[in-house]
Amino acid sequence: MVVISMDNNPLLETRDLRVEVSGIPILVGVDLAFRAGQVYAILGPNASGKSTLAKTIMGLPEYRITGGDILFNGTSIQNKSITERARMGIAYAFQTPPRISGVKLDDFICRVCPDYQCTDVHDALMGETCVCKQILYDDFERLGIRNLANRDLNDGFSGGESKRSELFQVLSMRPKIMFLDEPDSGLDYDSLKTVGRELKAIKEKHDVTLVIISHHRYILEFLEVDAVYILQRGRLVYTGDMSDIPVLEEKGYEKFLAEMTG
Amino acid sequence: MPSDDTKKRARSAKEKTAPYGSDLDLDKYEYSPSKSGDLESIDDLSEKDRALVREVGFDPAQERVSGSFIQFDNETLLADVLLQQKGLEVLPTNLALQKYDWLHDYLWNAVPVDTDKYTARSELEEYNGYFIRAAAGARIEMPVQSCLILKKNRFVQNVHNIVIAEEGSELHVITGCATPSNVEHSLHLGVTEFYVKKKARLTFTMVHRWSEKTDVRPRTATLVEDNGTFISSYAILSSPKSIQAFPKVRLIGTGAKADLYSVVYGSRKSKYDIGGSLSLEATKSSGKVISRSIATDECEIIARGDLVGLSSETKGRLECDGLLVSNSAVIRAVPMLAARAEGTELSHEATIGKVGAEQLSYLMSRGLDEEEATSLIIRGFVKLKVPDLPPTLQKSIDDTIRMSLEGGM
Repeated sequence: MVVISMDNNPLLETRDLRVEVSGIPILVGVDLAFRAGQVYAILGPNASGKSTLAKTIMGLPEYRITGGDILFNGTSIQNKSITERARMGIAYAFQTPPRISGVKLDDFICRVCPDYQCTDVHDALMGETCVCKQILYDDFERLGIRNLANRDLNDGFSGGESKRSELFQVLSMRPKIMFLDEPDSGLDYDSLKTVGRELKAIKEKHDVTLVIISHHRYILEFLEVDAVYILQRGRLVYTGDMSDIPVLEEKGYEKFLAEMTG
Repeated sequence: MPSDDTKKRARSAKEKTAPYGSDLDLDKYEYSPSKSGDLESIDDLSEKDRALVREVGFDPAQERVSGSFIQFDNETLLADVLLQQKGLEVLPTNLALQKYDWLHDYLWNAVPVDTDKYTARSELEEYNGYFIRAAAGARIEMPVQSCLILKKNRFVQNVHNIVIAEEGSELHVITGCATPSNVEHSLHLGVTEFYVKKKARLTFTMVHRWSEKTDVRPRTATLVEDNGTFISSYAILSSPKSIQAFPKVRLIGTGAKADLYSVVYGSRKSKYDIGGSLSLEATKSSGKVISRSIATDECEIIARGDLVGLSSETKGRLECDGLLVSNSAVIRAVPMLAARAEGTELSHEATIGKVGAEQLSYLMSRGLDEEEATSLIIRGFVKLKVPDLPPTLQKSIDDTIRMSLEGGM
């Protein structure tokens, strides 16, 4: 008899998830499970549906579910709004976040993140300083984006700056599960290390599930991911672990998958 | 005294309709003689009036200002220069015209009296307004605050303002115009002429809060001489019945510069026809016309921008952004560029759209609900960021916009 403790239940899972965008099927039946406190890598060739999976879980409207379900703590979240999902603890770091003019990054973080919350949100929105800012600036400094604090949200951020600002925002929300869409692309070596260190620190706390969509070996190995999922043509085609990553890099998806899945 | 010729020209334009904006019947209003006020100090303002002037950014406590001017209807209540502001004058226009004979040369110089029936009528009826002047070389760092309040029904507030920044001076003027919400069928006729002399620097910040049954027809023009700078920022945050304004700046001196910023938050069934015109007449002159419009409810906004390049090595830019928050509202952007000299460089960019779905999703993914996200996008959009504006002025604009949005949203 198999005894399943509550801890073994996935925090979030997709069951036979089918998704289309503008009438074109992208995910054609994906079953995946993410457990609390674990680190996952989602890999796969271009256009395999990796970002679609994350965006659908976040609830972005252009990703239409045509079949299957998404469960969070065992309950379907299909009918929940993006806001509700965010407040439940699901976070998604955008790959190319849109520009929001007139809204400063520091004020915005103060507004959305409980840890930095100002006593007077209006004052913060209109650019007045408040007492909470110092911790905020220290944290900006740590991620090397102190220079972005007073800039409009995503306004002219470089690729690397965007990644770090996104990471900063989702981290500050204290989510239960976070999807990072290529958090390592466009980063120079130093920034890559900064981001890696930040993610490692989160992993070591064991209270957030990290799901990383990436093409690169460095960050996944540095983090010592617990599981590797490979998507291909809208399906989960392989489940493995860290040891697969070097082999995959050497052989490429086509050959690797041909050998592994026969 | 105004010459007979001026009166004659005014009479000839009495029926001349304006090219833009709905046509108003000027005979259906009451006109009244202008009066000089009897208010000894701002402290004598009633609590209600204090609240009213505060709404358009006027500080009755007069902190951080160099002077103040208040006019209710056609009655000047106060024209006051604070102590130690050497080189600054603030007077009711009528008194200034009596005091300075030379001022008649400035009257109707930037704005031709026969521009249209509104300028004509303004001349033919009694008017008042403010005369503000910074003497040559005077640096008046704190702004002069003024407010023009229209309180009577079926009434014309007829204002003629003249602002002169003499050579090498620096002057900042803030004007707030408002009507209490119960005022009906009234008209604000406002003529304003700005003169920016050589190397002078003038910033003009104006906030409008009109009631929904007021029509507003400002007629504004500016002359900027060699290396002078004129920066105007204008926010209209309430919903008058109609407003049509097309301030014109003529850059007549080498290296003259002007930037016009405006924000319109349109609501109800109001009709806004707002624009800005830059005429680059002297070599090396340059400027920008930047407008932001938000259309809600059933309002109609026409945002015009006009650049005319008449000399070499000139540069002008139009930027017009519109945000549509309702399916029953309309925004039209009308950019006009005319190059009439080799070596003039004119450009424009206009974007009009709804609140972006991607922006909404993004903010919602950070835990804001749809309403909060929309409001944040709008607040961000209307934020009027004017480079080089003194921080106190920027704050005053921010505060006023914030107050208005809180009332309107």
